[in-house]
Amino acid sequence: MIIRLLSAALVAGFLAAVVATGLQLALTSQLIIAAERYETRAAHEAADARLPIILAHAPAQGQAHGGHAHDHGTAGPGGEWQPGPGLPRMAFTGLATLIGAVGYALLLGAAMLACGRAPTPERALAFGLAGFAALALAPALGLPPELPGSEAAPLVTRQAWWLMTAAATAMGLYLILIRRAAITILGGLVLIVAPHLAGAPVPPEGNSGVPAILAAQFAARSLGVAFVFWAMIGLAFGWAWQVFGREAKAPARA
Amino acid sequence: MTTNVQTLGTTGTRANEGAAAIVIAALLGIGLVFLAGFAPASALHNAAHDFRHTQNFPCH
Repeated sequence: MIIRLLSAALVAGFLAAVVATGLQLALTSQLIIAAERYETRAAHEAADARLPIILAHAPAQGQAHGGHAHDHGTAGPGGEWQPGPGLPRMAFTGLATLIGAVGYALLLGAAMLACGRAPTPERALAFGLAGFAALALAPALGLPPELPGSEAAPLVTRQAWWLMTAAATAMGLYLILIRRAAITILGGLVLIVAPHLAGAPVPPEGNSGVPAILAAQFAARSLGVAFVFWAMIGLAFGWAWQVFGREAKAPARA
Repeated sequence: MTTNVQTLGTTGTRANEGAAAIVIAALLGIGLVFLAGFAPASALHNAAHDFRHTQNFPCH
């Protein structure tokens, strides 16, 4: 059983990752790269704004600083490792998508079996859509998908709110759709609404250098990609579960 | 570890083995999602950067 679960999750994760990586490269990666151009430009403008003050005190030092800032922009933030532009970056995006997709597929499989639902493509698709609602849509209502360079609240508070919202929404959907008693439906609705009443961490007031049209396009495309991603994970998991079941049955005892 | 396929009809499973499989899969799944979406190490963050932004994991 564990073998069947892991195999189906690997296959489903791989298929979903192939589709989602294609969509990401076609739809969202170019927006991220475009936004990064604004981000680095803003960093350069900040460095330029500092420059005259330093120049007034020590011209030579100021020039050296200006040159250094320029190197900084091409070497990446803080000189930390990052994948090279172009193909390496796409490859790492694909790898991260694969790891995330297998992880989500495992969670989907575990949730289905824990709920006592034997996976078929239809049922797994329904769970996939619930996964989209809980892990993509609900957190996005409070924390819209962001481009690099956007103003945002501290990372830890956003991650905590994201996790709390995802967990509460998943639990709420379980209580409403699977338990289906009046009291659990009420509790489920409370669980789904509560994180939004509590409110997502608010970003500080400030002007982002990223044009609003880019940010809006990115938010819409991001949710679209996430929807296809989750639908594929569900469909493929249900299909792969059936396939590995047939294969295990054929040699009598696997 | 014997895989008993018979318990997995259309009604689902509630066997002990099933519970173990569910726990293992859930923990493994959480670990992988954490690695791709939340791990704070900067090399991991940079490698998964575009995926994190697109899948709306809180980033930066």
